[in-house]
Amino acid sequence: MTDPSTRTPAPFQRRQFLRVSAAAGLAAPLSITLASCAASGSGPTTAASGEAAPATGPTDADNPFGVAEGTVDAVIFDGGYGTDYASFAGDLLGELHPGSTVEVTASTTIAQQMQPRFVSGNPPDLLDNSGAGAIALSAIVDSLEDLQEVVDTPNLDGTVIADTLYPGVLDVGMYNGKLAAINYVLTVYALWYSESLFEENGWAPPRTWEEALTLGAAAKEQGKYLFTWGTEAASYYLTLAVDSAIKGGGDEVRLAMDNLQAEAWSLPAVTDVLAAMEQVVANGYMRPGGAGTQFTAAQAQWSQAQEALLYPSGSWIENEMKEQTAEGFVMTGSPAPTVSTDSALPYESIRNTPNEPYVVPTDAVNAAAGKEMLRVMLSPETATEFARTKLASTIVRDTVPEDAFGSTALAAQIDMLEAAGDQTFSWNMVSTYGMTAEVNVLWNSFLSGESDAGTLAEGMQALFDRIREDDAIVKIEIA
Amino acid sequence: MAPTDPLTAARAVGAGSEQPATGTVRRPRRRRVGFDRVSMIVVFLGLPFALYVLLVLYPFTQAVYYSTTGWTGFSDVQPFVGLDNYARLASDARFLTALGNSATLLLVVPVVTLTLSFVLAVLVTFGGSTTGGVRGLSSSGFYRVVSFFPYVVPAIVIGIIWSQIYNPANGLLNGALTSVGLSRFADFAWLGDSDTAMPASMVVIVWSFIGFYMVLFVAAIKGIPAELFEAARLDGAGRFRSAVHVAIPGVLGSVRTAYVYMGILALDAFVYMQALNPSGGPNSSTLVITQQIYTTAFSQGQFGLACAMGVVLALLTFGFVTVVLSVSRLAERRLGA
Repeated sequence: MTDPSTRTPAPFQRRQFLRVSAAAGLAAPLSITLASCAASGSGPTTAASGEAAPATGPTDADNPFGVAEGTVDAVIFDGGYGTDYASFAGDLLGELHPGSTVEVTASTTIAQQMQPRFVSGNPPDLLDNSGAGAIALSAIVDSLEDLQEVVDTPNLDGTVIADTLYPGVLDVGMYNGKLAAINYVLTVYALWYSESLFEENGWAPPRTWEEALTLGAAAKEQGKYLFTWGTEAASYYLTLAVDSAIKGGGDEVRLAMDNLQAEAWSLPAVTDVLAAMEQVVANGYMRPGGAGTQFTAAQAQWSQAQEALLYPSGSWIENEMKEQTAEGFVMTGSPAPTVSTDSALPYESIRNTPNEPYVVPTDAVNAAAGKEMLRVMLSPETATEFARTKLASTIVRDTVPEDAFGSTALAAQIDMLEAAGDQTFSWNMVSTYGMTAEVNVLWNSFLSGESDAGTLAEGMQALFDRIREDDAIVKIEIA
Repeated sequence: MAPTDPLTAARAVGAGSEQPATGTVRRPRRRRVGFDRVSMIVVFLGLPFALYVLLVLYPFTQAVYYSTTGWTGFSDVQPFVGLDNYARLASDARFLTALGNSATLLLVVPVVTLTLSFVLAVLVTFGGSTTGGVRGLSSSGFYRVVSFFPYVVPAIVIGIIWSQIYNPANGLLNGALTSVGLSRFADFAWLGDSDTAMPASMVVIVWSFIGFYMVLFVAAIKGIPAELFEAARLDGAGRFRSAVHVAIPGVLGSVRTAYVYMGILALDAFVYMQALNPSGGPNSSTLVITQQIYTTAFSQGQFGLACAMGVVLALLTFGFVTVVLSVSRLAERRLGA
């Protein structure tokens, strides 16, 4: 791309602003007017090349990215966490930088709504790319800012942000060496159950698949099932299987999975887990009918009717089922079971792949403010507010008090993370390559007993192979 | 540019039709083009045509162009790849499955819907008592209104309602079946079994359109002179023969229109399938092309490939319409001769 100064009166490109920050203040008012022009009426192909200079002002300790006056355009996924936490951060940003206002737009169909804006070079300044309608990140990774700069900056209390985060939480946002996304909400993947129900019956959460089978038999005696599943969320059992396999086989399995390797689904650690799960299905420990049940209805079979003992899910489950949880259901979690007790990773190790990926598009007119917004969100005040109102932790450490605001599931999440220490791991190939729909097809068949472990592994491998060998799909190398 | 050609054409026609009326005028008179005529042509011909070009033809061509690129949909880079996308589709198992499922819908749904709605239309128009005047079943007005209800409900709502009816654990259907003693249907997943998912989805589409096409056929049957039915009855024709030999030839034009509409709907079917089985059903047995286009474009970020699928779907639709129209023309010629 040529220097925009040949076309517009704005004298610098944004990157240069960041380097020679002091002089740039002059250009700010002018570039805002230009920016608003570009934002309103840009055609599909012209805008990207003729984009207006972004609004940046001088930088200093209180304003590390050079936020200038103007409107910040934040598009937030309106899912389980709503958007009010972003508005909270937006108000705080407005106080810090008088003249800046954050406009929070709620969206549930991110890809559909953002696609024309990305094409016309007019993306939002901050985007929470989440939910079922999220953009496959591999498709936009080249037009996103490197957010390393944000985590290297001190938060509002003066501590460098990177030092305040849980270990490994940024890995999921690394795309070929670039921190393209900061996933904001801490999410551990576990088996969730009612502690009260388990205590009543003298049960314990299974540490191995063998214990799971024993527990399944005990459940059956009471007319209950071990697991339940819903058709759109059959992929949660992929999560359980992969977590268990990674714990069994270690990093080799994780890398094989995340890089879609050719032999990923024939590794012994993987086939062992699938064999165990096949046994669960064969013994009739899955609540039947899952392939035709809407997933929240299936989850209610676990949390409300308590027909199933365990449910594998991310830690959003408490919030999601808040209205449909039985009285006295003390929701708590335990790590995924392993095949044997001498697994490569300890039983306590757990998958910690944060959710709600926040990205700042390179073409955003006010990218500096997008980053500043992230800095505000990652500061203790906002992060604590999030934990308090959403009963979920952000990736910022020490924002959840001892009583976890009365939430047993949140307390369990923090306990599991502390027990795991640095033995947490992360993988993300399903959402990176948008595989959920096809994964669900394979797993629905497997969980309802229509196909066996061999067919499932073959199907998953074929899916991996097809994506890996498709040159049209941008690959993310995971190390 | 566009409005000028129709303008001259219309003027020529106008001048021609003017001549016999005036009679006394010998030489062809050039009529002045008044503001009224011009504005009428602009508003009724030019504007619709411009809108058609802008909103239909242009996006069509654009989609065809995109189908020859490897566009991700989220950048302004559209690398030209020629016919690669089409070659990929030819060996894309999931797309071929979707194509097969759409073809199944196309074959089954219109035939079943139109047959059932024709039967209903016959019942409420002349299917009543065979003594006295030709009339429908008693209180047929009530049936007419009731069977139109589903058409008033938005497709997505229908999808959600039916997915609850089909719910294995506490859906109406399994509840009804188990309460009459068919205990094997306890927890049976209608939408989760690859043998039943497609038929169950078809039932929903058929159910939601029967009422509308019944009303259409009722109107068409009412358009047939009542004397024909009376004459047929005097000749000893029962309700079935009246339907086959009087009503069917009389409503053939409506059947053709209805068949084309229903076929196009069956090729789309997106809302129903997405509501009933968002991930394409067990073993992809209810996955249709439109769903595959949607996931390829929006969740996999391959707009070029998705556009190629769209082009294939468009060609399939054109082919279908052509076949229906020529077959019905042949049938008409045979019946009408």
